[in-house]
Amino acid sequence: MRRVWQRGRFGEGLAGFSFMAPTMIVMGVFTVLPIAYAIFLSFHKVRILGEFDLRFIGGRNFWRMLADERVWIALQNTFEYVVIVVPTQTILALGLALILNSSIRGKHWFRIIFFLPTVTASAVLTLIFMWIYNSNGLLNNILAGFGLPTYNWIGDPSVALKSIMIMNIWSTAPLYMIVYLAALQDIPKSLYEAAKIDGASALDQFFNITLPFLKPVTFFIVVIGIIGTFQLFDQSYIFSAGSGGPNNSTLTVVLLIYQYAFKSLDMGYAAALALMLAAVIMLVTVIQRTIFKEEKLH
Amino acid sequence: MICTRVKWLIFLLVIITLTSCTFARGNNSKITVTLSGWQSSPNESQLLRRVLQDFEAEHPDIKVKYEVINQQYMDVIKTRLIGDTAPYVFYLDAFEAPLLMQNNVLEPLNTYINDEFDLSDFIPTLLNAFKSNNKIFGLPKDFSTLALFYNQQAFEAAKLTQPPATWTELQQYSQKLTRDWNGDRRIDQYGLGIIPELSRQSFLIKTFGGTLINQNGYATFATPEGLKGLQLIVDLYRKYRTAAQPSDVGASTGSEMFGQGKAAMVIEGSWAIPYLKETFPKLKFATAELPTIAGKKGTMAYTVAYVMNKRTKYKDAAWKLIAFLTSKKGMKAWANQGLVLPSRQSVIAELGYDQNPLYAPFVAGADYATIWQAGETLPTVLTHFNNQFISALIGEQSLNEAMERAQVSANKEIAASQ
Repeated sequence: MRRVWQRGRFGEGLAGFSFMAPTMIVMGVFTVLPIAYAIFLSFHKVRILGEFDLRFIGGRNFWRMLADERVWIALQNTFEYVVIVVPTQTILALGLALILNSSIRGKHWFRIIFFLPTVTASAVLTLIFMWIYNSNGLLNNILAGFGLPTYNWIGDPSVALKSIMIMNIWSTAPLYMIVYLAALQDIPKSLYEAAKIDGASALDQFFNITLPFLKPVTFFIVVIGIIGTFQLFDQSYIFSAGSGGPNNSTLTVVLLIYQYAFKSLDMGYAAALALMLAAVIMLVTVIQRTIFKEEKLH
Repeated sequence: MICTRVKWLIFLLVIITLTSCTFARGNNSKITVTLSGWQSSPNESQLLRRVLQDFEAEHPDIKVKYEVINQQYMDVIKTRLIGDTAPYVFYLDAFEAPLLMQNNVLEPLNTYINDEFDLSDFIPTLLNAFKSNNKIFGLPKDFSTLALFYNQQAFEAAKLTQPPATWTELQQYSQKLTRDWNGDRRIDQYGLGIIPELSRQSFLIKTFGGTLINQNGYATFATPEGLKGLQLIVDLYRKYRTAAQPSDVGASTGSEMFGQGKAAMVIEGSWAIPYLKETFPKLKFATAELPTIAGKKGTMAYTVAYVMNKRTKYKDAAWKLIAFLTSKKGMKAWANQGLVLPSRQSVIAELGYDQNPLYAPFVAGADYATIWQAGETLPTVLTHFNNQFISALIGEQSLNEAMERAQVSANKEIAASQ
């Protein structure tokens, strides 16, 4: 009896695996193997142009990071970017979702308009924004029209990264707005009605019903947001034509990896940097999970 | 379900037939030579296509497959060289040549070159940029130097008749030419447009006896001699406030800010001439050799060569293509568009570039120009220089501090990568 059961289970398992085989093979070849190879490369000095040549150098690539000034600048820029962009875009997304969830007129149109930037390709958005940010461009003309100070948005190292932040917040917040909107519509109306009868104000309702219900979604949005912002590449690449300038102000970790891998062809060091970034992202995610879990216990 | 399966089957059959077609064609006796380059304008690649048609007419057994790579050209070429999918013949900028010559991925051309080809006709400094250990790895297809463009209308308005001959004059002129036409305290016309990149400034480092990179590949520009030349640019920008970068006035290139009248003078290459004529037909401008600094002439020269991939399957056919494109005839057909100058002296004379008042300053510059090339580590040095030079230019730190930092961080990176 037991044997038959086991055989049946084996057959079932085989069927299950064979259904998953295409995905597992594709994942294995294009995700797991490259990761393993990247780990392997990060301990080597690699020469790939001309004759291929690998030399084991132990942890030298990792030590090199500590002394590499540009790694620290890139990390600092990336952290600054994450710390400003993630909270802003999350709060903005929530705000927009709340507005669109209320019964204002023409909210369907607003939904479409708000969502448009997310549908547009980021490369195209960046090019449009470079035009808007131009010293004599739209933004400066509007600012000057109101008598506000104007900036050299792309050329000035102290504002270049902020220009990218503004652009990115504007373009990704709507995506999270949609996620919030879907979550908002899942909250039972009866809770609000009960709260109203108990004499709760709109603010009380927001903090005691809406926010707690949105916590899982917020966790998702913050995690995805942090991973996305840590991997910032295309916007700063286009803004600075690949250099991370002016004066390293738009240099991000992924852009630095790109520069070492494809400009200097130093694959070993680039792989080590990529591992470092992966470790940082994992660490941040683990920290977040513990924070959110602790609160769940209450 | 069945319907989609049938569709897939048809799709598969179509693919099989198509691929077998190409195989069949491959068996034909025609050899295909691949060629890659970038284009600065659609006209340019059209012209090259016409030259290639002439080549195919002359060599009926060779077919040329020409591909334009526009973005990040060198990254693409390097990656393709690594993946063994690089074209047989491709453009190579002198700036990137040392890396490829060192890594043994280019075919030396010495054995292919015969007397008929007339190698001595090439401008020697250009040819030297593609020589390493007495081997010639590339034949320069064209070049450009930098010269001073000046707006004749702006000069008339400022009662100036001659282009500045010395840097002191350039300083005075740029003060006279910096104007705020409508009185809103935002300058409408700057004296000089500058591009704060090492590729444009490296001759200034040499002017007072500085050097950019030493023989071991380490940066050495942060010396009093090296900084003296660079200080001239910083002074114009910060002290006199008579110079501007394109991004300061909302332009994307130097020639654009010049064409829009936002800079009365600009230091640019000959490629700006067709652009200005086409885009700003009303603009009246002339060119002159760069002003002398401390009595010495100086400018930059940029050159690009045709090189052959070492792993080329049909080397003789590839050489025939290079030889055709860089022969007197091929070069003449290519270089009469006026974007860049031909690298053969006889073709310059034949096309009359040395007599043409707009182009003569560029030709004259070839005699004393600094070639934009300085060994394998130049790309690293360049990144650090550009970053810090901008920072000095906008006044975040003194030039001395900025260049010292650029040099230290560049050398650190060079040492770490060895």
